[in-house]
Amino acid sequence: MSQDSRNARAAQPAAGDAGTVRVTLTVNGADHELLIDSRVTLLDALRDELALTGTKKGCDQGACGACTVLVDGRRVLSCLTLAAQCDRRQVATIEGLSSDGRLHPLQEAFLRHDGFQCGYCTPGQIMSAVALLHEGRTGSDDEIREFMSGNICRCGAYPNIVAAIREVARQGAR
Amino acid sequence: MTLTRPVVVGAGVDRVDGPLKVAGAAAYSSDITLPGMVHVALVRSTIAAGRITRLDTGAAEQLPGVLAVLSHHNAPRLAAGPTNNLGPTPPPPLQDDRIRHHGQYLAAVVAEKPYQAAAAARAVTVEYERTEPVLRIEDPAGELRTDPFGMDATRGDAAGALAAAEVVHEATYVTAENTNNPLGLFATVAQWSGGRLTVHDATQWTSNTCQTLAQMFEVPESAVRVYAKYVGGAFGSGLRVWPHVVLAVLAARTVGRPVKLVLSRPEMFTGIGHRPNTVQQLRIGAARDGGFVAIEHEALQTVAMDDENLEPVAASSASAYACPNVATRDRQRRLNIPCPGSMRAPGEAQANFALESAIDELSYLLDMDPLDLRLRNYAQVQPQFGLPWSSKALRECYQVGAERFGWSRRDRRIGAMRDGRWLVGYGMAGVSYLWWQVHCEARATIGSDGTGYVRSAATDIGTGTYTVMRQLSAELLGLELDQVRFDLGDSNLPWSPQAGGSGLTGALGNAVHAACRELIRTFLRTVVNDSASPLRGCTIDDVAVSGGRIHHRADGKLGESFVAILARHGLDELTADGVSDPPDPQEVGMAPAGAFAAKFVEVHVDPDLGLLRVPRIVSVVDGGRILNEKLARSQIIGATVGGVGQAILEETVTDPRTGRIANANLGDYLVAVNADIGEIDVTFVGEPDQLTPLGTKGVGEVGLPGTAAAVANAVYHATGKRIRSLPITIDDLLG
Amino acid sequence: MRAFEYVRADDIGAAVALVSGDPAAQYLAGGTTQVDLMLKDGILEPERVVDITRLPLRGITADDRTLRVGALTTMEELAADPTVAERLPFARTALLAGASTQLRNMATIGGNLLQRTRCRYFRDPGVPDCNKRTPSSGCAAITGAGARMHAILGAGETCIALHASDLCVPLVALDTVVRVRGTDGERRIPLTEFYLLPGDRPDLETVLRHGDLVTAIEIPLPPAAIRSGYLKVRDRASYEFALVSVAAALTVEDGTITEARLGLGGVGTIPWRARAAEQVLTGAPATVETYRAAAEAELRAPFTVPGTAFKPELARRTIVRALEELGGDRT
Repeated sequence: MSQDSRNARAAQPAAGDAGTVRVTLTVNGADHELLIDSRVTLLDALRDELALTGTKKGCDQGACGACTVLVDGRRVLSCLTLAAQCDRRQVATIEGLSSDGRLHPLQEAFLRHDGFQCGYCTPGQIMSAVALLHEGRTGSDDEIREFMSGNICRCGAYPNIVAAIREVARQGAR
Repeated sequence: MTLTRPVVVGAGVDRVDGPLKVAGAAAYSSDITLPGMVHVALVRSTIAAGRITRLDTGAAEQLPGVLAVLSHHNAPRLAAGPTNNLGPTPPPPLQDDRIRHHGQYLAAVVAEKPYQAAAAARAVTVEYERTEPVLRIEDPAGELRTDPFGMDATRGDAAGALAAAEVVHEATYVTAENTNNPLGLFATVAQWSGGRLTVHDATQWTSNTCQTLAQMFEVPESAVRVYAKYVGGAFGSGLRVWPHVVLAVLAARTVGRPVKLVLSRPEMFTGIGHRPNTVQQLRIGAARDGGFVAIEHEALQTVAMDDENLEPVAASSASAYACPNVATRDRQRRLNIPCPGSMRAPGEAQANFALESAIDELSYLLDMDPLDLRLRNYAQVQPQFGLPWSSKALRECYQVGAERFGWSRRDRRIGAMRDGRWLVGYGMAGVSYLWWQVHCEARATIGSDGTGYVRSAATDIGTGTYTVMRQLSAELLGLELDQVRFDLGDSNLPWSPQAGGSGLTGALGNAVHAACRELIRTFLRTVVNDSASPLRGCTIDDVAVSGGRIHHRADGKLGESFVAILARHGLDELTADGVSDPPDPQEVGMAPAGAFAAKFVEVHVDPDLGLLRVPRIVSVVDGGRILNEKLARSQIIGATVGGVGQAILEETVTDPRTGRIANANLGDYLVAVNADIGEIDVTFVGEPDQLTPLGTKGVGEVGLPGTAAAVANAVYHATGKRIRSLPITIDDLLG
Repeated sequence: MRAFEYVRADDIGAAVALVSGDPAAQYLAGGTTQVDLMLKDGILEPERVVDITRLPLRGITADDRTLRVGALTTMEELAADPTVAERLPFARTALLAGASTQLRNMATIGGNLLQRTRCRYFRDPGVPDCNKRTPSSGCAAITGAGARMHAILGAGETCIALHASDLCVPLVALDTVVRVRGTDGERRIPLTEFYLLPGDRPDLETVLRHGDLVTAIEIPLPPAAIRSGYLKVRDRASYEFALVSVAAALTVEDGTITEARLGLGGVGTIPWRARAAEQVLTGAPATVETYRAAAEAELRAPFTVPGTAFKPELARRTIVRALEELGGDRT
C-alpha cells in the first residue's frame, strides 16, 4: 500500500459528461459497453440496460439478498453497487449459470428439493449458494443456515434450501 | 370417472414452473419491459390526518425526463370499483385533498427513467393542514364498529355458564401488526392501445383486477386484459386492486405510453395491506373434569378510514371445540392507518394465538395435559350447525403429532427440562381452519395431436397451482404429465376466484374436474352414433380414460384414442367448459370442513439473556386429498416459517405521534432468516373430503396458525412466563 | 437521488485533494452505507462521488506487535486472515457476526469505521426533526416508537442514534489506531479518540475533516495468553445488528485478572470502550461478583427511552456472560 503521492496523477472523471459514466461490464463472460447515468446500480444496469431480469429487486436496500450476483467471483449485493464501480469487473448472474441448456447442480437440487415457491428470491439464493460452496461453508446444516441467512425467502423454503445445498455439497459438485 | 385410484395426482412431482424459476427466466410483472415504456414514482403523505393546503409540482416538472405529474389537482375523477366477496375496492387515489393515513399517495410522477421519476418525486413539495390523527387501537376517538362481518356467533348462554363454571380462565391477548412483505416488489405495467388496456400485475386475482379496472376507467371488461403469470409471493396482499395499480393505469393513459410502477420496499408497508393488530379477551369456563362449559371470545382489530377489511377473528372460536355455550364478538376500530388487509391466515392467525394460549393456561388450572384437554373437548360434529363434518382427522393430527414429536417425553413441571444453559420447553396447539370456497370456471381442450390444454384465469403465487392443476388435468384426461399444458394468470381465460382463503385448489380443482369430465362427454357425444367407434352409445359412467384413450370401464381394450376420434371426425380439437360452485351444506347434510392441524413445538430459552430459539416444529395436517405431497409439504413448511415470524420476530411499529411506520424496511422489520429455522417435520393424515368430487381442502394457510400459540405455550413450559403478546422478544423474557 | 458526477480515483493524493477541495464531493468505497443513503434514502446528496475502491489501500500485513489493515480491505478478507484467526479470534467472530456474506464482501474496514447510524428517523427525509441531519431540529427517535436499535450510552436528549458496528467493538477495546490522510499529510488517531459523542452537535460524528481519507488501521496484537470473546445478542439469529454485544479480552493469572479489555456494541452512540468496567476488573479476582460489579460500573447512568428501557439490564447480563465464559468463576 503505497502512501506515496509525489507522483500523483490527477483523478480522472470516467466520462466527459457530469452525471453519465461509460462502463464496460463483463457479464457472464460477455462485454457490454454502456453509457449510463452515474446513479444506476449494478442491479438496474443488469435489469434495465442488459435485460437480464433474472437478478431480482426485493428491497433495494441491502436487506434481503434477492439481488445477489458474483463480482470477480465473490457474492455481493447488486442493489448497493454502482454499475460504474464494476467497470471491467467480471459479473456472474443466474442467466450464466446453466450451460448448453443444462442446469447447474444447484439449480437441479433446488428443483428436486422444492427449495422455492414463488421463485422470486431463488436466483439470489442460488447465486449465494454457488459462492457458499466455493467458500467452503457447507460443513454442517447450521453452517449452511448461518451463511445463507443473507438471503431472505418469505415463502419460507429454508429447510428445503438447506437440503438442496447439503446435497450438492456432499456430491462435491461445483 | 372418479379420482378413486389416482396415478398422477398425489405424486411428489417437481414444480412444473421450477426450471424457469431456478434459471431466473420466470417473468414477474416487474420484469416486463415494453417498447417506449416510462416509469412512475410516487409521492406519499408525511402526515397521518388532515388535508393538503398546497401541492407544488412546478420544480418536479422541470426536471430532466419528467413527462407528467399527477395529483388531486389534475387527476380525473374515477368511478368507484366493485364490491366483491372480500368487500369494496380500496378508495381510488388522488380524488381529493384529504389525508387519511401516513404514506397515502399524493402524487405520481412519470418520467423516462426510474431514477428520474424518483428524483422528481422528491422535488414535489406538499404543505398540510394537520389534524390530530387517531392511531391507537384503544383510542375511543376512533369509530368502533361492532359485528362488522355479521358473523358474531352465540350458542347457549355463555355469560351464565361462565358465572356458574367450576374453573374459569380469563385473559387478554395482544397480537402485533404484521406486514405481508412478499419478496417480490409489487409492480404494475400498464399499456393503453386504441381504448384497450393491458396490465401485468402482481395480483392474486386477475379476474377481479380486470373487472375493477374496467369499472373504474369505464371501459368494457372485454377491453381489459390482466396478466399475472408469475407473482413473487403475496400472502394476501395481492387480493385487492390497490391504489398504485390504478395510478399506473392512469399514468399510462395520461402520457399515452406504457408505464411501469414498482413499489419500493417502504411503500410495500403502506400500500398493499397488512395483518391488523388485535386485542382479544378470552374467557373459558370448564368443569373440573376438563369439559368446556363456555367460551367467550371478543376481538378488537384495526381498520382504516374509508375502507373495509374482511377479517373475522373471534368468529373461528365458535367451531373449534365442542362447547355448549359460546359467544364470539368481532369489533373494529377505525384509525388513520394504511388499510389492513389479508395476510396468510387472516383472522385465524391472531385468534388461534389467543384461544390456544388460553386453553394451555386452562390446562394448568385443571392440572391436565394440554393435549388431553383438547381431546376431552374434541368437536366430533360441527358444534355450531350440529352437522357431521365433511371430513375431520384432527384427532389423528394430535395422535400422530404427539408420537412424532415425542410429547410423552415432556416433563410436565415448569422449567424442568434443560440443555446446558438453555431451558427447554414443549408446547402444542390445535388448528381448525375455516372453510372457504367460491365459484370458479375452467376450460379444457384436446387437440388433434392428442395433447391437452386446460386453463383458467387463476394465479400461482408460489402455491403450486401450475403443477397440481396440470397433474389433475393429466389424471382426468388420461394423459401423461408432459402431454398436458395448464395455463393461468390471464384474465382472458375463464373466470377464477382469488388465490386466497386456501380456497383456490378446491374451487379450481373442481372446475377443472368439471371441464375435463365435460370434455370426455363431448368426445362421447361426438361418437354417439359413430358405428366405427367402440365407444358409440357410451355415457361417461361407462368409461375410463388412460394412455390418451377413452375405453370401456370393464374392458380396457375396448376403446379408442382422442386422436383417432378427432381425425375420423375431421376435428382440430374439442373444447369444453367446466364450472364449480360451493355446495350448500344444508343440502348435502354436512358441515364443510377446512383443514385441521396439530402443532408441536420445542423452544430453547436462555433465561439470562432472554434469547428464544425454535429448533424443532412438528406439524400434522388433515388437508383432505393431497394433490402433490411435495408441494403441499412446502406450503406447510413455509406457513410454519411465517408462524415463527409472527411468534418471535414480526412487528410493524407505528409512531404514536405521527402515524409513520418506524420500521418500514427489511432491515428493521424482522422476518425469519435461514438461521432462525430448525427442523420442520410435516405429516399429512386424513381422507379425501366428502364435500366435492376432488376431496381437497386447501393447505396454503393452515400451517401458520398454531405456531405462535405453541411457541408461547412452550415458552411458558420452559420458563413459567406466560407471554400474552406477540411477538415474544428478548425484553419479554429477561429476568 | 440527485444526479452526481462519478469520478474513479487512481491516486491517493489526488483523491484527497479532490474531495478536500470540493465541499460537495464524497468518497465512495464498498457503498453499503453510502449508496443506500444516497440513492435509496436520499439523505446524502453529493454532487461528486469519488470512487476510491481501486486505490492501493487493500491488504493486510502483520509483524509481532501490530496487524496493519488497509482501509479498503473487505470484512470477509479480514475475517479470512490467518493472523486474525490466531491472534484476534474475537475480532473474527465480530466480523462474521456482522451483516451477511454478501455485504461483508463489499464493506471495507474503513467504511465499517465510518458507517452511518441505522436510526430510521435519521434515514427518512420525511422526518423533519433529526439533530444529526439538521442541527437543532430535535430528535424524533426519542419520542418515537420502535427505538429498540438505539443507544443508551453516550446518548442524550439531542440524539440516541446507535453506532451499529460489530467490528469496531473489539477494535476499540484493542486500542486500534486509525491512519488518516489529509491535505497536510498523514496522521494517526486512536480509535478511542476518533469518534465524537453527540453532545450539542450530533451531526459531527468523528474528528475527521472533510476530505480526510482513512487509509489503514493498526491493531496492536494482544499477548498470546489473553483470552477473548465476542458475544452478540439480537432478536434474529443472524443478519441483524446487535441489541447488545460485548467484546472482551481477559488475562487471568492465578485467579486474578491482570489485564482486561472491554468494548460494547449495540448500546453506544459510538463504539463503546468500557473503561469503567475495565478498572473494576483489572486486579480483581475472576469471579462472577467481579463481573457484575464491572457491568454495574459501566451502566451506572444509561440514557433510556421506553423502547430501550430493557437494554441496560440486557447489557449488564451480556457483559457478565461474556466475562464468565472467558474468565470462569473462581468463587
